[in-house]
Amino acid sequence: MKKFASICVSLMLLFPVFVSADDFLGAPVIPEGKELNKTDVRLEVIIPLSHEEVVSYYREALKDFTDIKFRNWPDATYIEDDGNMPWHSITISKDEKDGTHVTIVKDNWTWIIGTLVLRYIGVFVVLMLLFAGMTVSGKIISGFVRRAELKKTAA
Amino acid sequence: MTVNEILDLLYGTLQTTGLLHLQWNIVIMWGVGSLFIYLAIAKKFEPLLLLPIGFGIFIVNFPLVPLMGYSDGHAQLLMFFYKYGLQWEIIPCVIFLGLGAMTDFGPLIANPKTLLVGAGAQLGVFITFTGTVLVGFTLKEAASVSIIGGADGPTTIYLTQHLAPQLLGPNALAAYSYMAMVPLIQPPIIRMMTNMKERKIRMRQLRPVSRQEKILFPLISSGIIALLVPSVIPLIGMFMLGNLMKESGVVGRLTESAQGPLMNIVTIFLGVSVGATMQANNFLSWKPLFIFSLGLLDFAVCTVGGILTVKIMNLFLKEKMNPIIGAAGVSAVPMAARVSQMEGLKYDRTNHLLMHAVGPNLAGVIGSAAAAGMFIAMFD
Repeated sequence: MKKFASICVSLMLLFPVFVSADDFLGAPVIPEGKELNKTDVRLEVIIPLSHEEVVSYYREALKDFTDIKFRNWPDATYIEDDGNMPWHSITISKDEKDGTHVTIVKDNWTWIIGTLVLRYIGVFVVLMLLFAGMTVSGKIISGFVRRAELKKTAA
Repeated sequence: MTVNEILDLLYGTLQTTGLLHLQWNIVIMWGVGSLFIYLAIAKKFEPLLLLPIGFGIFIVNFPLVPLMGYSDGHAQLLMFFYKYGLQWEIIPCVIFLGLGAMTDFGPLIANPKTLLVGAGAQLGVFITFTGTVLVGFTLKEAASVSIIGGADGPTTIYLTQHLAPQLLGPNALAAYSYMAMVPLIQPPIIRMMTNMKERKIRMRQLRPVSRQEKILFPLISSGIIALLVPSVIPLIGMFMLGNLMKESGVVGRLTESAQGPLMNIVTIFLGVSVGATMQANNFLSWKPLFIFSLGLLDFAVCTVGGILTVKIMNLFLKEKMNPIIGAAGVSAVPMAARVSQMEGLKYDRTNHLLMHAVGPNLAGVIGSAAAAGMFIAMFD
Protein backbone atom coordinates (compact mmCIF):
# COMPACT_ATOMS: atom_id res chain seq x y z
CA MET A 1 0.00 0.00 0.00
CA LYS A 2 2.86 2.34 0.92
CA LYS A 3 4.51 1.56 -2.40
CA PHE A 4 1.30 2.32 -4.26
CA ALA A 5 0.86 5.61 -2.41
CA SER A 6 4.44 6.67 -3.12
CA ILE A 7 4.01 5.84 -6.82
CA CYS A 8 0.86 7.94 -6.88
CA VAL A 9 2.56 10.87 -5.17
CA SER A 10 5.57 10.74 -7.50
CA LEU A 11 3.25 10.55 -10.52
CA MET A 12 1.42 13.60 -9.24
CA LEU A 13 4.66 15.46 -8.79
CA LEU A 14 5.78 14.50 -12.27
CA PHE A 15 2.53 15.68 -13.85
CA PRO A 16 1.49 18.58 -11.69
CA VAL A 17 -1.10 19.86 -14.11
CA PHE A 18 -3.23 16.77 -13.65
CA VAL A 19 -3.22 16.91 -9.86
CA SER A 20 -6.15 19.19 -9.44
CA ALA A 21 -7.69 21.98 -11.35
CA ASP A 22 -9.40 25.16 -10.29
CA ASP A 23 -12.06 26.47 -12.51
CA PHE A 24 -13.36 29.73 -13.88
CA LEU A 25 -17.06 29.66 -14.76
CA GLY A 26 -16.80 25.88 -14.93
CA ALA A 27 -13.83 25.93 -17.31
CA PRO A 28 -10.80 24.13 -15.90
CA VAL A 29 -7.82 26.31 -15.01
CA ILE A 30 -4.34 24.84 -14.60
CA PRO A 31 -3.32 25.65 -11.00
CA GLU A 32 0.29 26.48 -11.87
CA GLY A 33 -0.89 29.45 -13.88
CA LYS A 34 -0.14 33.00 -12.85
CA GLU A 35 -3.17 35.25 -13.01
CA LEU A 36 -2.65 38.26 -15.27
CA ASN A 37 -6.12 39.71 -15.36
CA LYS A 38 -9.42 38.60 -13.88
CA THR A 39 -12.88 40.13 -14.20
CA ASP A 40 -16.34 38.55 -13.88
CA VAL A 41 -16.38 37.71 -17.55
CA ARG A 42 -12.75 37.06 -18.43
CA LEU A 43 -9.69 35.38 -16.98
CA GLU A 44 -6.18 35.64 -18.39
CA VAL A 45 -3.43 33.43 -17.01
CA ILE A 46 0.10 32.58 -18.04
CA ILE A 47 1.13 28.96 -17.57
CA PRO A 48 4.73 27.71 -17.34
CA LEU A 49 4.07 24.88 -19.78
CA SER A 50 4.38 24.54 -23.51
CA HIS A 51 1.41 25.19 -25.80
CA GLU A 52 1.19 21.47 -26.61
CA GLU A 53 1.09 20.51 -22.93
CA VAL A 54 -1.67 23.00 -22.19
CA VAL A 55 -3.69 21.82 -25.19
CA SER A 56 -3.36 18.18 -24.17
CA TYR A 57 -4.40 19.11 -20.63
CA TYR A 58 -7.58 20.71 -21.96
CA ARG A 59 -8.22 17.84 -24.37
CA GLU A 60 -8.11 15.46 -21.43
CA ALA A 61 -10.11 17.71 -19.11
CA LEU A 62 -12.87 18.33 -21.65
CA LYS A 63 -13.01 14.93 -23.29
CA ASP A 64 -16.44 14.11 -21.87
CA PHE A 65 -18.10 17.24 -23.22
CA THR A 66 -19.73 16.62 -26.59
CA ASP A 67 -20.39 20.22 -27.56
CA ILE A 68 -16.79 21.38 -27.30
CA LYS A 69 -14.71 21.96 -30.37
CA PHE A 70 -11.02 22.66 -30.78
CA ARG A 71 -9.99 25.00 -33.58
CA ASN A 72 -6.39 25.22 -34.63
CA TRP A 73 -5.74 28.85 -35.54
CA PRO A 74 -2.37 30.14 -36.77
CA ASP A 75 -1.65 32.00 -33.53
CA ALA A 76 -3.69 30.05 -31.01
CA THR A 77 -5.74 26.99 -30.24
CA TYR A 78 -9.32 28.09 -29.73
CA ILE A 79 -11.69 25.96 -27.69
CA GLU A 80 -15.34 26.85 -28.12
CA ASP A 81 -18.38 25.61 -26.24
CA ASP A 82 -21.53 25.14 -28.31
CA GLY A 83 -23.41 23.66 -25.39
CA ASN A 84 -24.74 25.17 -22.21
CA MET A 85 -21.53 25.84 -20.32
CA PRO A 86 -21.23 29.20 -18.54
CA TRP A 87 -17.98 29.87 -20.41
CA HIS A 88 -17.79 30.50 -24.12
CA SER A 89 -14.18 30.04 -25.16
CA ILE A 90 -10.67 29.20 -24.04
CA THR A 91 -7.90 30.66 -26.17
CA ILE A 92 -4.48 29.06 -25.79
CA SER A 93 -1.83 31.25 -27.34
CA LYS A 94 0.90 29.67 -29.47
CA ASP A 95 3.32 32.41 -28.53
CA GLU A 96 5.27 30.74 -25.71
CA LYS A 97 7.10 33.82 -24.40
CA ASP A 98 7.39 33.34 -20.59
CA GLY A 99 4.87 30.51 -20.81
CA THR A 100 1.55 29.94 -22.52
CA HIS A 101 -1.18 32.54 -22.33
CA VAL A 102 -4.66 31.15 -21.68
CA THR A 103 -7.75 33.35 -21.86
CA ILE A 104 -11.14 32.13 -20.70
CA VAL A 105 -14.17 34.17 -21.72
CA LYS A 106 -17.69 33.99 -20.28
CA ASP A 107 -20.57 32.91 -22.50
CA ASN A 108 -21.92 36.11 -23.97
CA TRP A 109 -24.83 37.34 -26.02
CA THR A 110 -22.62 39.70 -27.99
CA TRP A 111 -21.04 36.71 -29.66
CA ILE A 112 -24.37 34.98 -30.31
CA ILE A 113 -26.12 38.04 -31.72
CA GLY A 114 -23.01 39.11 -33.63
CA THR A 115 -22.59 35.75 -35.32
CA LEU A 116 -26.31 35.56 -36.12
CA VAL A 117 -26.41 38.99 -37.72
CA LEU A 118 -23.29 38.14 -39.68
CA ARG A 119 -24.78 34.90 -40.91
CA TYR A 120 -28.10 36.51 -41.82
CA ILE A 121 -26.16 39.04 -43.89
CA GLY A 122 -24.23 36.05 -45.28
CA VAL A 123 -27.46 34.56 -46.66
CA PHE A 124 -28.14 37.89 -48.41
CA VAL A 125 -24.60 37.96 -49.80
CA VAL A 126 -24.97 34.42 -51.21
CA LEU A 127 -28.28 35.23 -52.87
CA MET A 128 -27.11 38.65 -54.07
CA LEU A 129 -24.11 37.06 -55.78
CA LEU A 130 -26.44 34.54 -57.33
CA PHE A 131 -28.65 37.44 -58.42
CA ALA A 132 -25.65 39.17 -59.99
CA GLY A 133 -24.52 35.95 -61.69
CA MET A 134 -27.98 35.31 -63.09
CA THR A 135 -28.45 38.87 -64.28
CA VAL A 136 -25.12 38.91 -66.12
CA SER A 137 -25.53 35.43 -67.63
CA GLY A 138 -29.15 36.23 -68.52
CA LYS A 139 -28.09 39.34 -70.41
CA ILE A 140 -25.29 37.53 -72.26
CA ILE A 141 -27.46 34.58 -73.24
CA SER A 142 -30.44 36.74 -74.20
CA GLY A 143 -28.06 38.69 -76.48
CA PHE A 144 -26.84 35.50 -78.14
CA VAL A 145 -30.35 34.15 -78.55
CA ARG A 146 -31.58 37.43 -80.05
CA ARG A 147 -28.66 37.54 -82.48
CA ALA A 148 -29.26 33.93 -83.53
CA GLU A 149 -32.95 34.67 -84.10
CA LEU A 150 -32.11 37.75 -86.16
CA LYS A 151 -29.75 35.66 -88.28
CA LYS A 152 -32.47 33.08 -88.80
CA THR A 153 -35.01 35.73 -89.86
CA ALA A 154 -32.49 37.37 -92.17
CA ALA A 155 -31.75 34.02 -93.80
CA MET B 1 -48.20 -31.15 -15.69
CA THR B 2 -49.25 -29.30 -12.53
CA VAL B 3 -51.36 -26.16 -12.47
CA ASN B 4 -48.32 -24.15 -11.34
CA GLU B 5 -46.30 -25.38 -14.29
CA ILE B 6 -49.10 -24.43 -16.65
CA LEU B 7 -49.30 -20.97 -15.03
CA ASP B 8 -45.52 -20.56 -15.34
CA LEU B 9 -45.72 -21.50 -18.98
CA LEU B 10 -48.51 -19.01 -19.56
CA TYR B 11 -46.59 -16.29 -17.72
CA GLY B 12 -43.47 -17.07 -19.75
CA THR B 13 -45.49 -16.80 -22.94
CA LEU B 14 -47.05 -13.56 -21.77
CA GLN B 15 -43.57 -12.16 -21.09
CA THR B 16 -42.71 -12.55 -24.77
CA THR B 17 -45.69 -10.38 -25.76
CA GLY B 18 -45.87 -6.66 -25.27
CA LEU B 19 -48.85 -6.83 -22.92
CA LEU B 20 -46.88 -6.86 -19.69
CA HIS B 21 -44.64 -4.01 -20.84
CA LEU B 22 -47.30 -1.44 -21.63
CA GLN B 23 -46.86 1.99 -20.06
CA TRP B 24 -48.93 5.17 -20.08
CA ASN B 25 -46.41 7.10 -22.19
CA ILE B 26 -46.60 4.46 -24.90
CA VAL B 27 -50.37 4.91 -25.09
CA ILE B 28 -49.90 8.68 -25.48
CA MET B 29 -47.57 8.06 -28.41
CA TRP B 30 -50.21 5.87 -30.08
CA GLY B 31 -52.46 8.91 -29.82
CA VAL B 32 -49.79 11.17 -31.35
CA GLY B 33 -49.19 8.72 -34.21
CA SER B 34 -52.92 8.30 -34.82
CA LEU B 35 -53.39 12.09 -34.82
CA PHE B 36 -50.90 12.49 -37.67
CA ILE B 37 -52.44 9.59 -39.59
CA TYR B 38 -55.83 11.28 -39.12
CA LEU B 39 -54.50 14.66 -40.31
CA ALA B 40 -52.98 12.99 -43.37
CA ILE B 41 -56.06 10.97 -44.35
CA ALA B 42 -58.98 13.12 -43.23
CA LYS B 43 -57.51 16.61 -43.58
CA LYS B 44 -55.04 15.81 -46.39
CA PHE B 45 -52.25 17.66 -44.51
CA GLU B 46 -48.99 16.72 -46.30
CA PRO B 47 -50.29 13.12 -46.56
CA LEU B 48 -47.22 11.84 -48.42
CA LEU B 49 -45.13 12.48 -45.33
CA LEU B 50 -47.46 12.69 -42.37
CA LEU B 51 -48.98 9.28 -43.11
CA PRO B 52 -45.71 7.30 -43.00
CA ILE B 53 -44.45 9.49 -40.13
CA GLY B 54 -47.64 8.86 -38.17
CA PHE B 55 -47.42 5.14 -38.80
CA GLY B 56 -43.74 5.14 -37.84
CA ILE B 57 -44.63 6.81 -34.50
CA PHE B 58 -47.46 4.37 -33.94
CA ILE B 59 -45.67 1.14 -34.74
CA VAL B 60 -42.40 1.89 -32.99
CA ASN B 61 -44.17 2.61 -29.71
CA PHE B 62 -45.12 -0.97 -28.99
CA PRO B 63 -43.03 -2.78 -26.42
CA LEU B 64 -40.50 -5.35 -27.65
CA VAL B 65 -40.99 -4.60 -31.36
CA PRO B 66 -37.72 -5.31 -33.19
CA LEU B 67 -37.70 -2.15 -35.29
CA MET B 68 -35.36 0.51 -33.93
CA GLY B 69 -32.68 -1.52 -32.23
CA TYR B 70 -30.03 -4.03 -33.10
CA SER B 71 -30.34 -7.83 -33.28
CA ASP B 72 -27.07 -9.75 -33.09
CA GLY B 73 -25.22 -6.57 -34.04
CA HIS B 74 -27.40 -5.99 -37.12
CA ALA B 75 -29.68 -3.00 -37.42
CA GLN B 76 -33.37 -3.83 -37.25
CA LEU B 77 -35.66 -2.80 -40.10
CA LEU B 78 -36.42 0.85 -39.29
CA MET B 79 -33.04 1.37 -37.68
CA PHE B 80 -31.55 0.23 -40.99
CA PHE B 81 -33.54 2.88 -42.91
CA TYR B 82 -32.67 5.46 -40.28
CA LYS B 83 -29.00 4.64 -40.12
CA TYR B 84 -28.24 4.49 -43.82
CA GLY B 85 -30.89 6.95 -44.96
CA LEU B 86 -30.88 9.69 -42.37
CA GLN B 87 -27.77 9.27 -40.26
CA TRP B 88 -25.71 9.12 -43.44
CA GLU B 89 -27.72 12.12 -44.70
CA ILE B 90 -28.60 10.39 -47.97
CA ILE B 91 -32.39 10.65 -48.04
CA PRO B 92 -32.70 14.47 -47.81
CA CYS B 93 -30.20 14.81 -50.65
CA VAL B 94 -32.00 12.27 -52.85
CA ILE B 95 -35.28 14.09 -52.17
CA PHE B 96 -33.62 17.31 -53.29
CA LEU B 97 -32.55 15.52 -56.49
CA GLY B 98 -36.19 14.67 -57.16
CA LEU B 99 -37.35 18.18 -56.28
CA GLY B 100 -34.79 19.63 -58.67
CA ALA B 101 -36.06 17.35 -61.42
CA MET B 102 -39.57 18.66 -60.83
CA THR B 103 -38.72 22.36 -60.56
CA ASP B 104 -38.97 24.99 -63.25
CA PHE B 105 -36.68 27.87 -62.30
CA GLY B 106 -38.04 29.99 -65.17
CA PRO B 107 -39.92 32.51 -62.95
CA LEU B 108 -36.84 32.99 -60.75
CA ILE B 109 -34.52 33.42 -63.73
CA ALA B 110 -36.95 35.88 -65.32
CA ASN B 111 -37.07 38.00 -62.16
CA PRO B 112 -33.84 37.27 -60.24
CA LYS B 113 -34.34 40.11 -57.77
CA THR B 114 -36.87 37.89 -56.02
CA LEU B 115 -33.83 35.97 -54.75
CA LEU B 116 -33.49 38.67 -52.12
CA VAL B 117 -36.98 37.90 -50.86
CA GLY B 118 -35.83 34.34 -50.22
CA ALA B 119 -32.98 35.74 -48.13
CA GLY B 120 -35.23 38.17 -46.24
CA ALA B 121 -37.62 35.36 -45.38
CA GLN B 122 -34.90 33.69 -43.33
CA LEU B 123 -35.40 36.38 -40.66
CA GLY B 124 -37.39 34.03 -38.43
CA VAL B 125 -34.63 31.43 -38.56
CA PHE B 126 -32.17 33.79 -36.93
CA ILE B 127 -34.64 35.31 -34.47
CA THR B 128 -35.87 31.91 -33.32
CA PHE B 129 -32.29 30.84 -32.75
CA THR B 130 -31.98 33.52 -30.08
CA GLY B 131 -35.25 32.56 -28.41
CA THR B 132 -34.32 28.90 -28.38
CA VAL B 133 -30.96 29.58 -26.74
CA LEU B 134 -32.72 31.71 -24.11
CA VAL B 135 -34.84 28.79 -22.92
CA GLY B 136 -31.87 26.50 -22.49
CA PHE B 137 -31.30 24.65 -25.75
CA THR B 138 -27.66 24.22 -26.76
CA LEU B 139 -26.46 26.31 -29.69
CA LYS B 140 -26.54 23.30 -32.02
CA GLU B 141 -30.07 22.40 -30.95
CA ALA B 142 -31.14 26.02 -31.37
CA ALA B 143 -29.81 26.09 -34.93
CA SER B 144 -31.63 22.90 -35.84
CA VAL B 145 -34.92 24.13 -34.33
CA SER B 146 -34.74 27.56 -35.90
CA ILE B 147 -34.39 26.20 -39.45
CA ILE B 148 -38.01 24.94 -39.17
CA GLY B 149 -39.15 28.45 -40.14
CA GLY B 150 -37.40 28.04 -43.48
CA ALA B 151 -40.24 25.59 -44.20
CA ASP B 152 -38.05 23.15 -46.00
CA GLY B 153 -38.40 19.57 -44.82
CA PRO B 154 -35.26 18.02 -46.33
CA THR B 155 -33.13 20.99 -45.22
CA THR B 156 -34.53 20.75 -41.68
CA ILE B 157 -33.77 17.04 -41.59
CA TYR B 158 -30.30 17.51 -43.06
CA LEU B 159 -29.33 20.22 -40.58
CA THR B 160 -30.90 18.51 -37.56
CA GLN B 161 -29.19 15.23 -38.36
CA HIS B 162 -25.94 17.12 -38.66
CA LEU B 163 -26.19 19.18 -35.47
CA ALA B 164 -28.75 17.69 -33.09
CA PRO B 165 -29.91 14.22 -34.18
CA GLN B 166 -31.77 13.77 -30.90
CA LEU B 167 -34.29 16.36 -32.12
CA LEU B 168 -34.80 14.84 -35.56
CA GLY B 169 -38.32 13.55 -34.93
CA PRO B 170 -39.88 16.68 -33.39
CA ASN B 171 -38.10 19.01 -35.83
CA ALA B 172 -39.15 17.08 -38.93
CA LEU B 173 -42.68 16.73 -37.64
CA ALA B 174 -42.95 20.43 -36.81
CA ALA B 175 -41.52 21.41 -40.22
CA TYR B 176 -43.91 19.23 -42.20
CA SER B 177 -46.90 20.08 -40.00
CA TYR B 178 -46.42 23.81 -40.40
CA MET B 179 -45.75 23.42 -44.13
CA ALA B 180 -49.14 21.75 -44.37
CA MET B 181 -50.68 24.62 -42.44
CA VAL B 182 -49.30 27.39 -44.67
CA PRO B 183 -52.84 28.21 -45.97
CA LEU B 184 -53.96 28.77 -42.38
CA ILE B 185 -50.90 30.57 -41.02
CA GLN B 186 -49.99 32.98 -43.81
CA PRO B 187 -53.21 34.81 -44.86
CA PRO B 188 -53.74 36.64 -41.54
CA ILE B 189 -50.08 37.70 -41.52
CA ILE B 190 -50.34 38.94 -45.12
CA ARG B 191 -53.41 40.99 -44.20
CA MET B 192 -51.73 42.37 -41.12
CA MET B 193 -48.57 43.39 -42.97
CA THR B 194 -50.07 44.94 -46.10
CA ASN B 195 -52.67 47.56 -46.98
CA MET B 196 -55.34 47.28 -49.66
CA LYS B 197 -53.38 49.39 -52.16
CA GLU B 198 -50.33 47.15 -51.83
CA ARG B 199 -52.37 43.97 -52.18
CA LYS B 200 -53.74 45.22 -55.51
CA ILE B 201 -50.33 45.96 -57.06
CA ARG B 202 -50.11 44.35 -60.49
CA MET B 203 -46.83 42.98 -61.67
CA ARG B 204 -45.63 42.96 -65.25
CA GLN B 205 -45.79 39.61 -67.01
CA LEU B 206 -42.49 37.73 -66.71
CA ARG B 207 -40.23 37.60 -69.76
CA PRO B 208 -39.80 34.26 -71.51
CA VAL B 209 -36.67 32.42 -70.42
CA SER B 210 -34.52 30.64 -72.99
CA ARG B 211 -33.50 26.99 -72.68
CA GLN B 212 -29.85 28.01 -72.52
CA GLU B 213 -30.50 30.18 -69.46
CA LYS B 214 -32.34 27.34 -67.76
CA ILE B 215 -29.42 24.99 -68.44
CA LEU B 216 -26.87 27.48 -67.19
CA PHE B 217 -28.77 28.31 -63.99
CA PRO B 218 -28.04 25.06 -62.08
CA LEU B 219 -24.36 25.34 -63.00
CA ILE B 220 -24.04 28.96 -61.92
CA SER B 221 -25.96 28.53 -58.69
CA SER B 222 -24.25 25.33 -57.61
CA GLY B 223 -20.89 26.92 -58.43
CA ILE B 224 -21.61 30.05 -56.37
CA ILE B 225 -23.03 28.09 -53.44
CA ALA B 226 -20.16 25.58 -53.54
CA LEU B 227 -17.76 28.48 -53.26
CA LEU B 228 -19.57 30.40 -50.53
CA VAL B 229 -21.35 27.76 -48.43
CA PRO B 230 -19.62 24.48 -49.28
CA SER B 231 -21.15 22.65 -46.33
CA VAL B 232 -24.57 22.63 -47.94
CA ILE B 233 -23.51 21.47 -51.38
CA PRO B 234 -24.70 17.87 -50.87
CA LEU B 235 -28.24 19.28 -50.78
CA ILE B 236 -27.97 22.08 -53.33
CA GLY B 237 -25.71 20.06 -55.61
CA MET B 238 -28.29 17.28 -55.87
CA PHE B 239 -31.07 19.85 -56.30
CA MET B 240 -29.24 21.43 -59.20
CA LEU B 241 -28.27 18.07 -60.70
CA GLY B 242 -31.95 17.11 -60.78
CA ASN B 243 -32.77 20.43 -62.42
CA LEU B 244 -29.96 20.14 -64.95
CA MET B 245 -31.22 16.67 -65.91
CA LYS B 246 -34.69 18.11 -66.45
CA GLU B 247 -33.64 21.19 -68.38
CA SER B 248 -31.07 19.44 -70.54
CA GLY B 249 -33.83 17.34 -72.02
CA VAL B 250 -31.39 14.58 -72.95
CA VAL B 251 -31.83 12.27 -69.98
CA GLY B 252 -35.59 11.90 -69.90
CA ARG B 253 -35.43 8.45 -68.29
CA LEU B 254 -33.22 9.67 -65.45
CA THR B 255 -35.41 12.73 -64.89
CA GLU B 256 -38.53 10.59 -64.77
CA SER B 257 -36.89 8.21 -62.29
CA ALA B 258 -35.67 11.05 -60.08
CA GLN B 259 -38.99 12.88 -59.93
CA GLY B 260 -41.13 9.74 -59.76
CA PRO B 261 -40.16 6.31 -58.46
CA LEU B 262 -36.93 7.33 -56.70
CA MET B 263 -38.59 10.25 -54.94
CA ASN B 264 -41.52 8.06 -53.87
CA ILE B 265 -39.29 5.32 -52.53
CA VAL B 266 -37.14 7.63 -50.43
CA THR B 267 -40.24 9.46 -49.19
CA ILE B 268 -41.52 6.20 -47.71
CA PHE B 269 -38.18 5.52 -46.00
CA LEU B 270 -37.91 9.10 -44.82
CA GLY B 271 -41.38 9.26 -43.33
CA VAL B 272 -41.33 5.96 -41.56
CA SER B 273 -37.82 6.35 -40.16
CA VAL B 274 -38.45 9.92 -38.95
CA GLY B 275 -41.60 8.64 -37.21
CA ALA B 276 -39.64 5.78 -35.74
CA THR B 277 -37.24 8.15 -33.98
CA MET B 278 -40.14 9.33 -31.83
CA GLN B 279 -40.18 6.72 -29.13
CA ALA B 280 -42.05 7.65 -25.97
CA ASN B 281 -38.91 7.96 -23.87
CA ASN B 282 -37.34 10.51 -26.23
CA PHE B 283 -40.44 12.38 -27.28
CA LEU B 284 -42.44 13.06 -24.14
CA SER B 285 -40.50 15.94 -22.67
CA TRP B 286 -40.80 19.72 -22.73
CA LYS B 287 -38.43 20.12 -25.67
CA PRO B 288 -40.65 18.72 -28.47
CA LEU B 289 -43.62 20.68 -27.13
CA PHE B 290 -41.52 23.81 -27.10
CA ILE B 291 -40.26 23.07 -30.61
CA PHE B 292 -43.86 22.89 -31.83
CA SER B 293 -44.86 26.20 -30.28
CA LEU B 294 -41.70 28.01 -31.32
CA GLY B 295 -41.90 26.53 -34.83
CA LEU B 296 -45.18 28.36 -35.37
CA LEU B 297 -43.65 31.66 -34.29
CA ASP B 298 -40.61 30.97 -36.44
CA PHE B 299 -42.80 30.36 -39.47
CA ALA B 300 -44.76 33.55 -38.84
CA VAL B 301 -41.61 35.68 -38.49
CA CYS B 302 -40.19 34.19 -41.70
CA THR B 303 -43.40 35.18 -43.50
CA VAL B 304 -43.13 38.69 -42.03
CA GLY B 305 -39.47 38.82 -43.13
CA GLY B 306 -40.39 37.99 -46.73
CA ILE B 307 -43.15 40.60 -46.88
CA LEU B 308 -40.95 43.25 -45.26
CA THR B 309 -38.17 42.55 -47.76
CA VAL B 310 -40.55 43.20 -50.68
CA LYS B 311 -41.73 46.40 -49.03
CA ILE B 312 -38.15 47.59 -48.54
CA MET B 313 -37.26 46.67 -52.12
CA ASN B 314 -40.31 48.61 -53.34
CA LEU B 315 -38.76 51.77 -51.88
CA PHE B 316 -36.02 51.49 -54.51
CA LEU B 317 -37.83 49.86 -57.43
CA LYS B 318 -39.52 51.66 -60.29
CA GLU B 319 -41.85 48.76 -60.98
CA LYS B 320 -43.28 47.82 -57.60
CA MET B 321 -43.69 44.24 -56.50
CA ASN B 322 -46.82 43.02 -54.77
CA PRO B 323 -45.79 42.39 -51.12
CA ILE B 324 -48.09 39.38 -50.99
CA ILE B 325 -45.46 37.41 -52.92
CA GLY B 326 -43.04 38.06 -50.07
CA ALA B 327 -44.93 35.48 -48.03
CA ALA B 328 -43.84 32.87 -50.57
CA GLY B 329 -40.23 33.51 -49.55
CA VAL B 330 -40.55 30.72 -46.99
CA SER B 331 -39.89 27.72 -49.18
CA ALA B 332 -42.90 25.34 -48.69
CA VAL B 333 -42.98 24.77 -52.46
CA PRO B 334 -45.50 25.21 -54.07
CA MET B 335 -48.01 25.71 -51.26
CA ALA B 336 -46.75 29.18 -50.25
CA ALA B 337 -46.89 30.39 -53.88
CA ARG B 338 -50.44 29.11 -54.17
CA VAL B 339 -51.42 30.97 -51.00
CA SER B 340 -50.04 34.20 -52.51
CA GLN B 341 -52.06 33.57 -55.66
CA MET B 342 -55.26 32.99 -53.68
CA GLU B 343 -54.70 36.03 -51.48
CA GLY B 344 -54.04 38.21 -54.54
CA LEU B 345 -57.23 37.02 -56.21
CA LYS B 346 -59.26 37.92 -53.12
CA TYR B 347 -58.57 41.61 -53.69
CA ASP B 348 -58.46 41.67 -57.48
CA ARG B 349 -59.98 38.78 -59.37
CA THR B 350 -57.79 39.36 -62.39
CA ASN B 351 -54.48 39.75 -60.56
CA HIS B 352 -52.72 36.41 -60.93
CA LEU B 353 -49.62 36.31 -58.73
CA LEU B 354 -48.75 32.62 -58.97
CA MET B 355 -45.83 32.86 -61.38
CA HIS B 356 -44.48 35.93 -59.59
CA ALA B 357 -44.67 34.10 -56.26
CA VAL B 358 -42.84 31.04 -57.60
CA GLY B 359 -39.63 33.11 -57.82
CA PRO B 360 -39.45 33.97 -54.08
CA ASN B 361 -40.70 30.48 -53.30
CA LEU B 362 -37.72 28.88 -55.05
CA ALA B 363 -35.42 31.55 -53.65
CA GLY B 364 -36.68 30.44 -50.23
CA VAL B 365 -35.43 26.91 -50.92
CA ILE B 366 -31.99 28.24 -51.78
CA GLY B 367 -32.12 30.75 -48.92
CA SER B 368 -33.00 28.19 -46.27
CA ALA B 369 -30.28 25.86 -47.59
CA ALA B 370 -27.82 28.77 -47.40
CA ALA B 371 -28.93 29.48 -43.82
CA ALA B 372 -28.45 25.80 -42.97
CA GLY B 373 -25.00 25.96 -44.52
CA MET B 374 -24.17 29.01 -42.39
CA PHE B 375 -25.13 27.08 -39.26
CA ILE B 376 -23.15 24.01 -40.24
CA ALA B 377 -20.11 26.19 -40.93
CA MET B 378 -20.62 27.82 -37.53
CA PHE B 379 -20.31 24.53 -35.65
CA ASP B 380 -18.04 22.35 -37.81
